[in-house]
Amino acid sequence: MNEEIKMLLFCGLLAFMLGLYLLLSHRNLIRIILGVEVLSKGITLILLAAGQARGAIPFIQSLVVTFIIVETVLAAVMLGLIVLVYKTHGSLDIRLLSKLKG
Amino acid sequence: MILWISLALFMTFLMMIVLFRDLLYSAVALALASVTLSVVLFLFKANIAAVFELSVCAGLITVLFVSTISLTKNSDQKIESRVPAAFLPFVLVLLLAIDVGLTVWLAREMLPAGQAGGTLTSFKEVFWTTRATDIWGQVSLVLVGVFGILAIFRVAPGRKDHE
Repeated sequence: MNEEIKMLLFCGLLAFMLGLYLLLSHRNLIRIILGVEVLSKGITLILLAAGQARGAIPFIQSLVVTFIIVETVLAAVMLGLIVLVYKTHGSLDIRLLSKLKG
Repeated sequence: MILWISLALFMTFLMMIVLFRDLLYSAVALALASVTLSVVLFLFKANIAAVFELSVCAGLITVLFVSTISLTKNSDQKIESRVPAAFLPFVLVLLLAIDVGLTVWLAREMLPAGQAGGTLTSFKEVFWTTRATDIWGQVSLVLVGVFGILAIFRVAPGRKDHE
C-alpha cells in the first residue's frame, strides 16, 4: 500500500512540474491552458495520494469533484477568451498581446 | 498491476502533450491522460470522481480544446520557439531529481500518520452534509462560467460580429 501511495505522489508531482514547465516555456495561449490542465491532473493525483494515506477517500472524492468543476469552468472561460483574442489580434502569441500594458 | 500500467500510460500521455508540436495531437493526448487518470481513480474506489474525470475532463474539455483549435486554425503555431524542446532532457532530469526528493519527504510526512480521517463516512454523507457549502461554490462557479462565456461572445445590438 505504501508503495502505491509513493508512486501516486511521484507521478502527481511529476505531472505538476510538467504542467509548470509547459506554462513557463511556451508562448502559444492554447498550450499555456494545456499546461494548466496538466498541472491540475497532477494535483488530482496528489489529492488521491493524500486521501489514500489518511484513509479518507470519500472526503477526497468530494474535493476532487469540486476541483474538476473549477478546472472545467476555468478552461471554458479561458478558451473563450483565447478565441476572442484571436479574433481581435489574429495571433495567439502571448508576446504580441501588449495592448494592456500601462 | 493495472495501477502501474495506468500510471505509466498516464505519464506517457503527459509527455506526449509536451512533445507534440501539433496542438490537436496534444489535446487528444490530454483526453487519453484523463481516461487513464479515471482508471486510477476507479482503482482507489473513488468511483464518482472517476466518472466526473471521464465525462467532464476526457469529454467536455477535449471538445472545448478541439473547437478552440479549429476556430484558431491559422494561428501562429509555427513560430513557437524550439528552445523548450532542446532543453527538455535537461529540464526532465532536474524535475525528476526534485520530484524524487519531494516524494521521499512528503511520503515521510504523510505515511506514519496513517490514522483514519473519516474511513467510515460515505461520499454521499461528505458531499451533501460535511461539505455542503461546496455545492453553493460549485453552483456559483458554473454560473460564473455561463455568464463569462455570454459576456465574451456577446454581440452588440446593430453589429453582426466582432471586428
